[in-house]
Amino acid sequence: MMSKNKKIVMGLGLAAVAFVIMMFSTMPSAGSKEITIADLSENGSKYEGDYIMTQGLLNKESVQWDADKLELRFELYEEGQGTLQVFHKGIKPDNFSEDVIVLVEGFIQKDGVFEAEKVQTKCPTKYEGEDMENYDTEMHKEMYKNDKSE
Amino acid sequence: MYLIGNISIYLGIVISLYGIIANIVGIKKKSSKWLESARGAVLSLAFVASVASFLLLYLLGTSQFQYKYVASYTNESLSMAYKLTAFWAGNAGSLLLWAFLLSLYAAMVVFSKEKKNPMMPYVSSILMVNILFFFTVMALNVNPFEMTDKIPADGKGLNPMLQNPGMILHPVTLYMGYVGLAVPFAFGIAALILKRMDSEWIKLTRRWTLLAWLFLTLGNVIGGWWAYLELGWGGYWAWDPVENASFLPWLTVSAFLHSVMIQERKNMLKTWNVSLIILSYILTLFGTFLVRSGILTSVHAFGDSNLGTYFLVFMAFMMLFSLYIVMTRYGLIKKDSSPIEAYFSKESSFLLNNLILVAAAFAVFWGTMYPLISETFTGTKVNVGAPYFNKVMAPILLVLIVLMGICPLIAWQKAVFEKFMKSMLWPMAMGVATAIILFAFGVKGIYAVIGLSATSFMFGTHLQEFVRGISARRKATKENILKAAFKLTVKNQRRYGGYIVHIGIAIIAVGVISSHTYSTEILKTVDAGNSIKTGDYILTFNELTEHTKNGNGIVVADIDVTYKGKDIGKIKPEKIFYETWPEPSTEVAIKTNWSQDLYVVLSSWENKDKVTFMVKVNPFVSWIWMGGIIMVIGTAFALIGGRPTTFRYQINKGISRVGGWKK
Repeated sequence: MMSKNKKIVMGLGLAAVAFVIMMFSTMPSAGSKEITIADLSENGSKYEGDYIMTQGLLNKESVQWDADKLELRFELYEEGQGTLQVFHKGIKPDNFSEDVIVLVEGFIQKDGVFEAEKVQTKCPTKYEGEDMENYDTEMHKEMYKNDKSE
Repeated sequence: MYLIGNISIYLGIVISLYGIIANIVGIKKKSSKWLESARGAVLSLAFVASVASFLLLYLLGTSQFQYKYVASYTNESLSMAYKLTAFWAGNAGSLLLWAFLLSLYAAMVVFSKEKKNPMMPYVSSILMVNILFFFTVMALNVNPFEMTDKIPADGKGLNPMLQNPGMILHPVTLYMGYVGLAVPFAFGIAALILKRMDSEWIKLTRRWTLLAWLFLTLGNVIGGWWAYLELGWGGYWAWDPVENASFLPWLTVSAFLHSVMIQERKNMLKTWNVSLIILSYILTLFGTFLVRSGILTSVHAFGDSNLGTYFLVFMAFMMLFSLYIVMTRYGLIKKDSSPIEAYFSKESSFLLNNLILVAAAFAVFWGTMYPLISETFTGTKVNVGAPYFNKVMAPILLVLIVLMGICPLIAWQKAVFEKFMKSMLWPMAMGVATAIILFAFGVKGIYAVIGLSATSFMFGTHLQEFVRGISARRKATKENILKAAFKLTVKNQRRYGGYIVHIGIAIIAVGVISSHTYSTEILKTVDAGNSIKTGDYILTFNELTEHTKNGNGIVVADIDVTYKGKDIGKIKPEKIFYETWPEPSTEVAIKTNWSQDLYVVLSSWENKDKVTFMVKVNPFVSWIWMGGIIMVIGTAFALIGGRPTTFRYQINKGISRVGGWKK
């Protein structure tokens, strides 16, 4: 004879299992693969039909904005890694300036153009000042080493 | 100044180390002298942390740009309020704030009326380990008092996005919640170390936990409010890793608040409660780690891998330590727990509520960490977006709302089913009526209707609880309604405080369900003189004008709005060009009435007569903020009053006391 406690725990366990199954089953349908710009520009065709998220730096020169049609075209690049043409139907984000990091989500098309459903610029809430010139990494590393050897 | 700042940081390390050692020696030697000295150490820590904090505030307030932190986050033209609140705009300052709050809390705990409690040395040691960690990180990695090589003429200024009242409050409230959880955690661990298996630690920390939960609630709601006003995408919650990081401990602490009631009354769920508080505490560290390390691709770019490592190591250490303590004491905890007496009782309903809250936390955690998990196993990072969270969380939250409608009606120990069904009558009727009315008005969306009806049922239950309580009291005392209501709630502050919180949640649920389901959005480029029509609103764009204010250039769109054909005045969305910031920032314009927000963003323009707008109509969003306020009021109400329940079922087994004090 099982005690009531055991029975209750069993029941709850079953509920938990059901819940986990539910979670796994919603997984693939709701995910976006994170692929690098380099990877996309080299073998974009591999990812056709996948919902993709990628991020890169904005080439300001390349931005074309058609206000009447609400169409935005721009190019993202990764230093020495390749570029990606992006097309987005929607509005232009605020801080669309040179070298801002842009996150895009969407599908890569046959012609290699990335059709973005979402365009976001990195939220500039930064915990580190941009200006890293005076940042004495060496000193930190020294301190860190000393700290570890103590 | 530079010296004082740095000395206080290093003193923080030295004193917390000394305090921990003094406690250990005091416990080993049973010497009250050493323990007294450790208490002194806690007080000195509070002093040292205050010195460092006020110094940083002073430097920020007087714009001493030779300090890197001051130069990075403020500038001359910033208003004083924002100069000071830049204190928590960056890594270094926010860690100092954490250390400051933590040492204040520690001092309050150590000098409370429980100071002679044998648990105290352990509690203060655990808190001092935390304090030590924060001072160490500041000394080694992000020192708030770092100097620049050459003094800049002016600072970089504060990110315009952070120049909003929401951002003044949001970090502080969230931190107070995060830090506050260290206290019940320390007590829980101390109780385990001492093998004190009674509920004393829970009673002692009830207020701390509730206070932490209040601040977590506030922090999350204010965060949503800030996002809604400032980010200009029209929403308040995006399931971003950073948001999830603050939501996770909220869920686990919510579970904890309910399950401790069972332990208080029935001496059950001891392992569970200790595990929950450990989990909540670990999640605060985890959340901070997530935000600071940049390991997940998020639109919040806080990345500083170095700092992330520190947090990861500390979190792992605390986790292993807690696990070790729980494992070694497991048998003891089990020994004197009472079993559940009936399936249909408040106890089991609380168990269910806990299970669901923890499941919700797990679902959020899973979705947040999925990119890393998938990368480990498949080599590709797969991000789950809002769709996953909405799919998984919607049913979970629905069940929670239904439970909230049922649980208050179930009695402790063994509920009588017929009685329970009878009390369900009115709330059920309310829920059904809501569904019928919504359908009659042609409201579409079956899930939203179910959600809203469930919410209405839940609200009905609580309304009924109040009405019943008041009428029962009036029968007994012949008081008038107001007096009876007042007396009733004040006499049972914990219970009715909790009910008020539930009502707040019902109001938030209305806001979340409606805005999620029925928001509309229009993007349009219009020429001057033309209009945009959305819902019952017609917006006529007149012109774009420019002016300067406090040295910032402001571009304003002038729009006339009519609602159901009636003129309701102008709405003026703006773009502000800050001197110190390369890009313009959006100032959303919002017109609120009781049931919906008209939300207008000036997106971009070709020339002054041709402008692109985003216009959204968001139903019931203001209810979310209102519900948040009600939740806070309810929590505060429960906090102020109420003593822990007496132990009707508590069998004290003469637990051996260490140190030989009697309380």
